[in-house]
Amino acid sequence: MSERNLKPTRKRRLLEVRKAVSRRQVILSALAIWGLFFGAWIISSAAGLVNDLLVPAPQQVFSALYELIAERGFIGDIGISIVRVLVAFIMAAVVAVPLGVLMGTFPAIEAFFAPFVSAWRYLPAPSFIPILLMWFGTGEAPKLALLFIGVIFFLITLVMDATKNVRRELIETALTLGANRSITVFNVVLPAVLPDIMVAMRQMLAMTWTYLVIAEIVASTTGIGAMMMRARRFLSTDEILAGILVIGALGLLFDILFAALHRWMFPYLREKR
Amino acid sequence: MSASLLRLDGVCKDFDLGRGRSLRAVDRVSFEVEKSSICVLLGPSGCGKSTVLRMIAGLEEPSDGQVLLQGQPVDGPGRDRGMVFQAYTSFDWMSVRKNVEFGMRINGISAAERRERAEHFIKLVGLGKFIDAYPTQLSGGMRQRVAIARTLANGPELLLMDEPFGALDAETRWHMQELMIEVANEEQTSMVIVTHDIEEAIFLADKIIFLSSHPGRLKEEIIPEFKIGHRIADKEQIIQLPGYAELERKIMRLMREEGTRE
Repeated sequence: MSERNLKPTRKRRLLEVRKAVSRRQVILSALAIWGLFFGAWIISSAAGLVNDLLVPAPQQVFSALYELIAERGFIGDIGISIVRVLVAFIMAAVVAVPLGVLMGTFPAIEAFFAPFVSAWRYLPAPSFIPILLMWFGTGEAPKLALLFIGVIFFLITLVMDATKNVRRELIETALTLGANRSITVFNVVLPAVLPDIMVAMRQMLAMTWTYLVIAEIVASTTGIGAMMMRARRFLSTDEILAGILVIGALGLLFDILFAALHRWMFPYLREKR
Repeated sequence: MSASLLRLDGVCKDFDLGRGRSLRAVDRVSFEVEKSSICVLLGPSGCGKSTVLRMIAGLEEPSDGQVLLQGQPVDGPGRDRGMVFQAYTSFDWMSVRKNVEFGMRINGISAAERRERAEHFIKLVGLGKFIDAYPTQLSGGMRQRVAIARTLANGPELLLMDEPFGALDAETRWHMQELMIEVANEEQTSMVIVTHDIEEAIFLADKIIFLSSHPGRLKEEIIPEFKIGHRIADKEQIIQLPGYAELERKIMRLMREEGTRE
């Protein structure tokens, strides 16, 4: 192998089918695409190619963000948004994870709940906003309810499917070692599916952010989305873009935290052959 | 060697194909397994040997007939019949030690005894150095040894193995086969092993149950006479014994008859 590396017989082309690229190339490519994006933005703003009322320059967006945080209590809005996402997400997970595991383990439980759950999955959560407002008024309840409805049915389905993917041999091994039902579920099925549950939760947390923005734009006076809708009234496009930036950064941050949690919880997956 | 441990009595298995039709996979199979002996279920694909094994384990119910362990009908899976599968079944979230202790832990064996037995069986299968490793750090053959140690440590009356070495490369496979002979001699374990590999069957078996295919019927009970009374734990040695080649030819003929019958 190493001998062949010394004498490359064929020139490496830029595009190779399914051939891994070096770490250096990965980092450079990531920087390049963002550099291109911001570069094009800065240049077109500076050259007057775009209406700067509608598309403010990046530096304007960042200074708007600074002003929002330093003078207008934007941290409070960010905090409220984070709390909403976390509270609604935890409520959904507390119901969805046990139910999904049970449905994936016991076909009788799946037969009962699955027709209900899969029907709800096809109802777009935002279609409930008018009725949620009538039921819960204008406090926190309708927002949390929207996020809860938007996430829970997908999470149940993902957890159920992951549980069904636990290999039958693992369960049968437990049974022939003398495990009863509860030991099989709690000591074998659950730990076997836990890494996949964490992956499903990570995906659904991203979706919770989507519904949060919808909830705050449609019916809220607080939170990141509400700030953006207020900014629209004053034609403050820089503040709207600052809001988008913060939402993106928060989503990324939560994703990284979840990935780190995954690595910390399942050290044995790191050395997979 | 003569006391009967397991008896199958006219065992049948029908699989439901839907719309009122069914397929007979196993047809009136009867045989006995003596205590401390190795019984191999051999036959071409489709002979239902795995289904027979799963019925012994209690993972499938016979459609007719009876499986008796020490005179008692088998009712569902239990710790007295430990099973090793072809696919890897290590619990990846536990170290090798915890894997091997698992059966004893759920059956209420004291921590001290668990530890001692786990160490004994982990050493027996040659994994002493890897006792605190995770299964994901081990090779396929080593993982299969973990499964064997875990099942043995749980103290089953009968060890069931469903093509346990089928996924391993040739060299690892015969190491494992030799290991099984050592284990059987040392621990006096009774085993029922399913395989389609003729060499493996002759090497391991005190008795071979040859099943025919579609449906699975008992075709012949074969005792490798040339090694009665002394198992041979060395693969090179066994193929030189008088009678080995003859038995291999005989079983190949049986296999071929079954193959062309379809």
